[in-house]
Amino acid sequence: MKAIEVRDLVKVYGHEVRALDGVSLDVEGSTVHALLGPNGAGKTTLIRVITTQLKPNSGYARVFGYDVTKESSEVRSLIGYVPQEVSLWSDLSGYENMLMYSKIYGIPREIRRRRIEELLDFIGLSEASGRLVRTYSGGMIRRLEIAIALMRNPRLLILDEPTIGLDPGARSLVWDKISEFRRENGVTVFFATHYMDEADKYADYVTLLNQGRVVSHGTPNELKRHVEGNKVLITLKNNTDSSRLSEVLSSVPGVAISSFDNNCLELVISDVPTRLPAILEKIFVSGYSVSEVKIREATLDEVFIKLTGRRISDESGRMKEVVSVRKMIRRGG
Amino acid sequence: MRSIRLEPLFSMAEMELRRLRHDPFEIITRAVQPILWVAVFGSVMAKIRAFPSVGDYVSFITPGVILQSSTFISLAYGIALIFERESGILKKLLTSPIPRSYVVVGRALAGSVRASTQYVIVLASAAVLGAKIISNPLNLITGYLVLVLACMGFTGLSILIASLLRTRERFMGIIGAITMPLFFASNALYPIEVMPDVIKYVSLANPLTYTVSALRKLLVSNSYDILQETLILTCFTVLAIGAAVKNLRRIIE
Ligand SMILES: Nc1ncnc2c1ncn2[C@@H]1O[C@H](COP(=O)(O)OP(=O)(O)O)[C@@H](O)[C@H]1O
Ligand SMILES: [Mg+2]
Repeated sequence: MKAIEVRDLVKVYGHEVRALDGVSLDVEGSTVHALLGPNGAGKTTLIRVITTQLKPNSGYARVFGYDVTKESSEVRSLIGYVPQEVSLWSDLSGYENMLMYSKIYGIPREIRRRRIEELLDFIGLSEASGRLVRTYSGGMIRRLEIAIALMRNPRLLILDEPTIGLDPGARSLVWDKISEFRRENGVTVFFATHYMDEADKYADYVTLLNQGRVVSHGTPNELKRHVEGNKVLITLKNNTDSSRLSEVLSSVPGVAISSFDNNCLELVISDVPTRLPAILEKIFVSGYSVSEVKIREATLDEVFIKLTGRRISDESGRMKEVVSVRKMIRRGG
Repeated sequence: MRSIRLEPLFSMAEMELRRLRHDPFEIITRAVQPILWVAVFGSVMAKIRAFPSVGDYVSFITPGVILQSSTFISLAYGIALIFERESGILKKLLTSPIPRSYVVVGRALAGSVRASTQYVIVLASAAVLGAKIISNPLNLITGYLVLVLACMGFTGLSILIASLLRTRERFMGIIGAITMPLFFASNALYPIEVMPDVIKYVSLANPLTYTVSALRKLLVSNSYDILQETLILTCFTVLAIGAAVKNLRRIIE
């Protein structure tokens, strides 16, 4: 059964801001589905419609078959939700926050205390639970919020930018906990993010959203097929006569030289595992030596740029070194 | 079944009490002003016998002064919802299984619990300063319940204003503009008979007047003739909270 079904959804704020401009998407049950897009794409708006906070202008959204506007209380009973902004009372302790939400959520008195303690232990906040939330780090806050969302044993967990502003260590800890809970409970996870690496790494399916429209969707690997070939950076040992090498390499099929300055050669290769050895062979045979090879996998960011002409975020695009063979391929040196 | 459904309401009041326990600063600072009203204004006016019809003036203004600080706290409570709107709390509450009305009624109760702490502080200080307060526990408890009812109405009004204005600046502006006039256009400091006609009418439409009147009967005159006041206050509270529930949607758009 589909966990979420969205069709032709339009949401206009006031009279002019068209935050959602005909969005359709499906989230299959028991999958992890990412909604990836830059700031202002409409991710939060879509999540707020799905979580019954906002009424759409047209189109519909269903959660496990229940319409979010007509059957909103059924929808609310099935979801756990962590909003983009902090949703804790900072002047209460971590434990008190859980206690208050457990009462608001109507967790039966008999199991309340045990459930809270189990969850605090699960997310590693048992020791800090007596401290005021004001003193928590960003990662602790996010983990506590996720624990609160899990308290009701939701069938669908909806997370709006679950790791926004966290450092890499805290981000992976948050995801470890989400993954661990999923392994045990098989909950469906739908999350919004503008970190493309996070969507790539943790999601089974990704929907790319830009300016209120779905740009593309599929598994991360399917999406990456939009970008032809991977980038390969080859650093040569000595200063080289670029024109001669260019000539040599242009005879190899499936290779394009995207730049060549000083001794740094950037190639786009469509099938790295079979073609790269042949290229290196050519380089060696022609009498050059290589000091470093870097292979960069296509990123969802590149897919996004290719499809929309914009970047997802400024922090991405970092060189991802899948293979760094430093000073290993050396011939004649 | 019933108790399960009501628990979320009371838990919001509980949350407020827990917050107060962690940080009682506001309650104490808010009590300074009313204590000064009783101590300075009350004693001076009593000495010059400004309103001979009211008997002991310090006792007369004690209920008015309780209302002064508790309505201020109630009316300012809506700012909490504006903060929660900017944070994610309101979003989370509105996606939880409890009905929307619970969010407003629960928070109105929470605001009222916070505001009514003034009852104890001001009454105790007034008694020390020589006010003659009826000490029958039944009167004291009834008075407290009337105050809670009225403060729920004022908190509801504050939530309504917060939902309509939605930004801190506008909210603070309006609340600042209405609280003092509300206090002066009531019977909190002087009997209605001495007011000019226009203010007399305003004060008769002012829920504060009925709250003060009920407390005065219970705490100063030892009278239980408060049916009319209670009915009017109940109407006010139901209307204010009803309007706030109806408009809550606006705060989250
Ligand atoms: N409450 C609101 N009122 C008016 N405009 C809004 C509101 N919330 C979001 N927007 C606008 O709608 C668009 C989409 O915003 P949002 O859904 O928050 O995007 P994202 O979560 O992808 O960053 C943006 O242009 C934003 O400025
Ligand atoms: Mg957002």
